[in-house]
Amino acid sequence: MKRMKKIIKYIFLILLTAVFLFPVVYMIACSFMSNSQVVKMLDFTNGEYKQINLIPEMFSLEQYYQVFFRRPEYLLKFWNSVIMTFPTVAGQTIVSALAAFAFGKLKFPFRDKLFFVYIVLLILPLQVTLVPNYIVLDNIDLLNNFLAVILPGTFSAFGICLLRQSIKYISDSSIEAARIDGASYFRIFTSIILPQIKGGLITLVLLCFIDNWNIVEQPLIYFDDEAMYPLSIQLSNFSVGDYGIIFACGVMFMIPALLIYLYGRRDIDSPFIQVDKS
Amino acid sequence: MKKKLLKRQHREYLAAFLFLLPSLLGITVFYIVPYIICCVKSLYVGEYFVGFKNYTDLFQNGTFLLALKNTAIFTFTAIPILMVSSFLIALFLNSFKKISSFFRSSFLIPVVVPIASLVCVWQLIFDDYGAVNGLLKLLGLNTVEFFNSEFSMVMIVFIYVWKYCGFCVILFTAGLANVPPSLYESARLDGAGSFKILTKITIPMITPTTFFVFLMEIIYSFKIFREVFALFGNYPNENVYFLQNFINNNYYNLNYPRLSSASIILSLFIIIILLAFFIFERRHSFAE
Repeated sequence: MKRMKKIIKYIFLILLTAVFLFPVVYMIACSFMSNSQVVKMLDFTNGEYKQINLIPEMFSLEQYYQVFFRRPEYLLKFWNSVIMTFPTVAGQTIVSALAAFAFGKLKFPFRDKLFFVYIVLLILPLQVTLVPNYIVLDNIDLLNNFLAVILPGTFSAFGICLLRQSIKYISDSSIEAARIDGASYFRIFTSIILPQIKGGLITLVLLCFIDNWNIVEQPLIYFDDEAMYPLSIQLSNFSVGDYGIIFACGVMFMIPALLIYLYGRRDIDSPFIQVDKS
Repeated sequence: MKKKLLKRQHREYLAAFLFLLPSLLGITVFYIVPYIICCVKSLYVGEYFVGFKNYTDLFQNGTFLLALKNTAIFTFTAIPILMVSSFLIALFLNSFKKISSFFRSSFLIPVVVPIASLVCVWQLIFDDYGAVNGLLKLLGLNTVEFFNSEFSMVMIVFIYVWKYCGFCVILFTAGLANVPPSLYESARLDGAGSFKILTKITIPMITPTTFFVFLMEIIYSFKIFREVFALFGNYPNENVYFLQNFINNNYYNLNYPRLSSASIILSLFIIIILLAFFIFERRHSFAE
């Protein structure tokens, strides 16, 4: 009886995992299909119901060949994405770690009220500040510059909320002990806080990366020159002629995020778990 | 002694200020100033001050009301569904003594994969002639137009839950791991059943986590616009026309008064939900 229950639990677990993994596996499978098969598959007008087949009719690297050697514009857009995303991620991680320490462990007047303001700012949808931001950026002469996307991203309150959550789990006693030994606040930050929030930092890097990697709205509004657009915009408006390489592009687009994820996988599992020092 | 303490306190204020400085500067320039500009603009039409007329006009605008209604429907269905399902999955994962990290990792995959990569997959699954409808047909049921009926909302809710469930599960399992096991043991010794333990110990103990998950869910619920945009373009059908669509489209029409007042209403909407939850959390949490 107990064994039966265990088997059912495992079957359920596997089904659950399959639901989460399926669309991704499917996309990867499709990226190895030949150009013509994909075009046929994405033709929704012939009145046949689609079948999900994970095995390509003919295994081919045609899509990848096209993307990498025949269509340089995709690699160029990919590079734009890189230029916009990496500085944002680095900047946001540093700024947020500093501020999260202040919010999580230091006491100062109006702390909780200020934090509430941060949360509200964080939750405000992009669309709310898009136009006013345009005016501000216009005034400081940053339009049509990658900095127009990078700087606002750097100061997003998202990282502060995330890191504050994991800093709060660090015990006060170790900080207090360091204070008594005469360590400066900056010293406490670098030698006590940072090593203990490694999981939180990697989670932030990953989530912030994904968020900026998917950026659509800001470049559309801040840049006049389409050559500056990131790959995410290109992927959102595919023209019919490009259907044949759509899946390979998708795979290429998700590889950087996957690499970061695989690198930090172990730490991401436990960013908010109390560290037992005993 | 007291003087020394005071000095120390001041040094702490100063340190806090310095740590916050970069973020405060950036937030002011890129978020607070624009927001104030937005507030001011919402009271003007062109050069003329009109008071709250933009707001009253907005509430007579059918498109806006539709957008508001859809946003509310989405927020009040998707967030509870996501909350409950991720909590249940976290409990389920927690019931295993040991679990391969492969399973947890695969739960996070949907968050990792960029939206734009998956649009075609969703089309293949949900199109009028997509896989789901093929299956329904095979079973002899009526097919469903996911891209042009009330089921559009169902599809969007599904994609939202699918995408963020794994992340919330990870947050919840971390919260569950922080509950001291001694609490469970003493409750069990006192003869509490598992349902009672769940409602009297587990749920109150993880309230801070729940709050954090809720926060993340709201943030992401407003990001679902990217999926809507990728799947439907600028003019989705009336079932999934959200406030963000409304703002976006008015942006392209350059209707600033309407745009800014709609933005302010959207932010008020969020602040109210948030405040309600804050008060709720204060009342029901006994951690901290």
